[in-house]
Amino acid sequence: MTSSTERSERAGAPAFALPFRVGRALAFHELRERTRDRWVIVISALFALLASAVGLYGRSAEGNAAAITGPSLVTLASLFVPLVALALGYDAIVGERERNTLGLLLSMPVGRTEVIVGKFVGRALALCLAVGLGLGAAMLAAAPGEARTLAALLGPTMALGLAFVSVGLLVSTLVSRQSTAASVVVAIWFLFVFFYDLGLLAILVATEGAIGDELVSSLVVGNPTGLYRVSLLASLGGENALTDLGLDVSLPSASARGAIWCAWIFGPLALSAAALSRRALR
Amino acid sequence: MQRLTLEDVAVRFGRIEALRGTSLELRAGEVFLLAGPNGAGKSTLIRVLLGLVAPTRGTLRVDGAPVRADRAFRARLGYLPESVAFSESSTGREVVSFFAAARGAPKKRIDEVLERVGLADARSRLVRGYSRGMRQRLGLAVALVAPCELLVLDEPTGGLDQDALTLLWSVLDEHRAAGCVVLLASHEIALLESRVDRLGLLARGQLVALGDPTSLRERAALPVRVKVAPRADADRDALVQALERVGTIAPVRGARALELDVQPSRLLELLDLDAAHRACIADLQIVPPPFDEVYRRLLSEAA
Repeated sequence: MTSSTERSERAGAPAFALPFRVGRALAFHELRERTRDRWVIVISALFALLASAVGLYGRSAEGNAAAITGPSLVTLASLFVPLVALALGYDAIVGERERNTLGLLLSMPVGRTEVIVGKFVGRALALCLAVGLGLGAAMLAAAPGEARTLAALLGPTMALGLAFVSVGLLVSTLVSRQSTAASVVVAIWFLFVFFYDLGLLAILVATEGAIGDELVSSLVVGNPTGLYRVSLLASLGGENALTDLGLDVSLPSASARGAIWCAWIFGPLALSAAALSRRALR
Repeated sequence: MQRLTLEDVAVRFGRIEALRGTSLELRAGEVFLLAGPNGAGKSTLIRVLLGLVAPTRGTLRVDGAPVRADRAFRARLGYLPESVAFSESSTGREVVSFFAAARGAPKKRIDEVLERVGLADARSRLVRGYSRGMRQRLGLAVALVAPCELLVLDEPTGGLDQDALTLLWSVLDEHRAAGCVVLLASHEIALLESRVDRLGLLARGQLVALGDPTSLRERAALPVRVKVAPRADADRDALVQALERVGTIAPVRGARALELDVQPSRLLELLDLDAAHRACIADLQIVPPPFDEVYRRLLSEAA
């Protein structure tokens, strides 16, 4: 049998190689591919356009970022960013399966977890570009003094996007047709962005508020979109901002919020890796 | 890698037994064709080798030592999947460059391999503008971008024109000469018969025939077709009578020529025709049965 050194020499590669070679190549490849995806481009461009319009509106209304531009951008981002993120994630694995390239990918010297991580990193970088473009456009359009306040939205907005990229990736790993994945992620978007809060409201009405504020708060911040909205509205408008808006939600501590974000980002990712590792490619 | 052995490999998907204890040895410097009808287990066997499917039982051995189809093993193989469709929004060069980077091949290899498969001029075009044959060539480039000890080509002839087939034959010859194990899976057995060293026939998850093409032809024992062109002045009826002692005359409508099906073991009896009858023959051609018929005979025997 040929030794590993001989193999490396035959491959023309140095004997010492950085780890995660396939994962790194995959992440770069994914980033390039995603930045050419027409749906991602269209949704990102629309987000950037509307975000810059919000910035301009805030400037013309002589408002300040905390009062007008920031909350409007939060609402806009909570609609668009999950959509871009799901569009980025939904075909990651199932697309490869349909193109018959998944077997080719997994026949390389790579672990399946590394494939999931490589896919995620590439798509996450594409998401960060889309978010940066959108919020960057808003910052450029907004009044000069507001840029710093709006810059504070970058981190949580990216976290929101990463959570949905991860969810999209999980869907992509579990289904066997790309069209099914597309339908599922659209349903997920409607559920998390629109119907979740309506559902909570319906529960509150049906139980006449008997389910308790603690549980309602937990359910609101359990949804990444809800967590994103309430934490940013609170940070932009101060402690009483949520109460002023009629939202009786107690915000969890910063570490608890970090844990929720981590759970939403890394949980689906871990499940994707487990699902792909268990799955035989028939 | 001198010998790659599958020993009693079985794969079960739920209630379906895709492979039922298949044993097979692949040797360095040989091109091996895996043939069989749809659902016979060819793809499953390939996927076991690629580490995409874990066998329910059985052992994979390299030079006698048991191995797993893990990363270290997979680093030694090149693979062309069936009907592969690379990303339409990438150029040919970008596709190959990804696989080159992932497999640790040097950058100069990208252009070399694109040149080798005849895509040098199309390297900067998007894959969506490639014809079916060009996509197959691109797949071949991906399989060849890094050196390998085991080359697995699943239905490699699909969509290839004559130039591309010539390229494929030279790839097979090069890898054979370099001492690689080359495994092909294909339905195009008649096309590949003369290009492979041995072939295995799978049916319902079992290897039902194994050997070189000549030995499989012998095993199938199909009659060869002898085409006899009588001289213009020959007594055709007398010639027919003489030939019928050797084989069966096949009806050829409206032709003066005769066609005779003869068992290979009786072929030499044609030499025993008396001089008068031999003198009636202007031309004689021996046509072996197409390998498709050999394949069908062996499959029906197995059934």
